[in-house]
Amino acid sequence: MTTLAALEKGHEFPPASFDLSEQWVEAYVASVEDKAIAALGGGFVPPMAVAALAIRALLEHASLPPGTLHAGQELAFTAPVRRGETLTVAARIASRGERAGWVLMGVELRVTRDGAVVMTGRATLSFPVAAGAAV
Amino acid sequence: MTQQSTSLAAGAALPTVTKAITQETIDAYALAGGDSNPLHTDPAFAANTQFGGTIAHGMLLLAYVSEMLTAAFGEDWLTGGRLKVRFRAPARPGDALTCAGTVTSVEDGKTLCAIECRNESGEVLVSGEAEVSRSSI
Repeated sequence: MTTLAALEKGHEFPPASFDLSEQWVEAYVASVEDKAIAALGGGFVPPMAVAALAIRALLEHASLPPGTLHAGQELAFTAPVRRGETLTVAARIASRGERAGWVLMGVELRVTRDGAVVMTGRATLSFPVAAGAAV
Repeated sequence: MTQQSTSLAAGAALPTVTKAITQETIDAYALAGGDSNPLHTDPAFAANTQFGGTIAHGMLLLAYVSEMLTAAFGEDWLTGGRLKVRFRAPARPGDALTCAGTVTSVEDGKTLCAIECRNESGEVLVSGEAEVSRSSI
C-alpha cells in the first residue's frame, strides 16, 4: 500500500463506503465515553464517529507515513446520522507544501448519504520530508 | 434535556467535559477507530519518537469536544455544527483533560464559541472555534 507521502496535490481518493453498524457505534461510544449522545436519544451517531470512520476508510487506500502528526482539523456537519446507515466518503489532497523539513498536507473529506452531503472536513497533517523520500 | 443554542448568550460557558486519559482509553479508541498507529498503542515504539511515549489520537480529543458541544446544543450540533481546531500539544496517558468553551457571539441564528482542551497542568492541547446554526427542523 502506498502512503500519503507519495501523493501529490490534487490526488483524488476513490470513493469508499462504510457502514455505521449498531455494534460499531456502541464500541465507539464506549471508547470515548460519550454520555451526551446517549442522552440525546434518537439513535444518533456522534459526529466524530462519522469523521473517524471516514478517515479510516481513506487509510485503506493510503497509509500514514511514519511520524505523521495531526496538526489541525476542520469539520462541518450538515445532517444528523443515525445508527445502521451507510455513508460514502470522497477525498482529495487539497494542498501540499514543505516547511522546515516537514510536509504539510491538507486532505479534504466529503461524506454523503445517498448523494446528500452529511459532513465535510479538512485534515491538516504533517510528516517529515524524509518519510516521503523513503517511499 | 440538552440545552439549545438559543438559550446560550454571549459570554455563557459551555458545560465542561472532563476525561482521564489512560493507555486503556487510547487502546480502546484505536480498536474502535481502526487507527493502530504505534505512536498511540506501542509504548516501546513511542518511547523512541519525539514524544518519548504514547499519545492520544487527535480525533479522540475531538470526540470529547463534540460531547461538550452535543451537551450544549443538542441536535443543532449534529445538523449545523462547524469546528475548526489546532492540535497544540499531545495528550498522554495519565493526563486529566478538561474541555471547555465560551459563547463569543450569537448572531443571525449562529452561535460562535471559543473552545479548548487543557491538561491538569493547564497546558492547552486543543484550541479553536465552533459554530452552531439553529436547526430549521
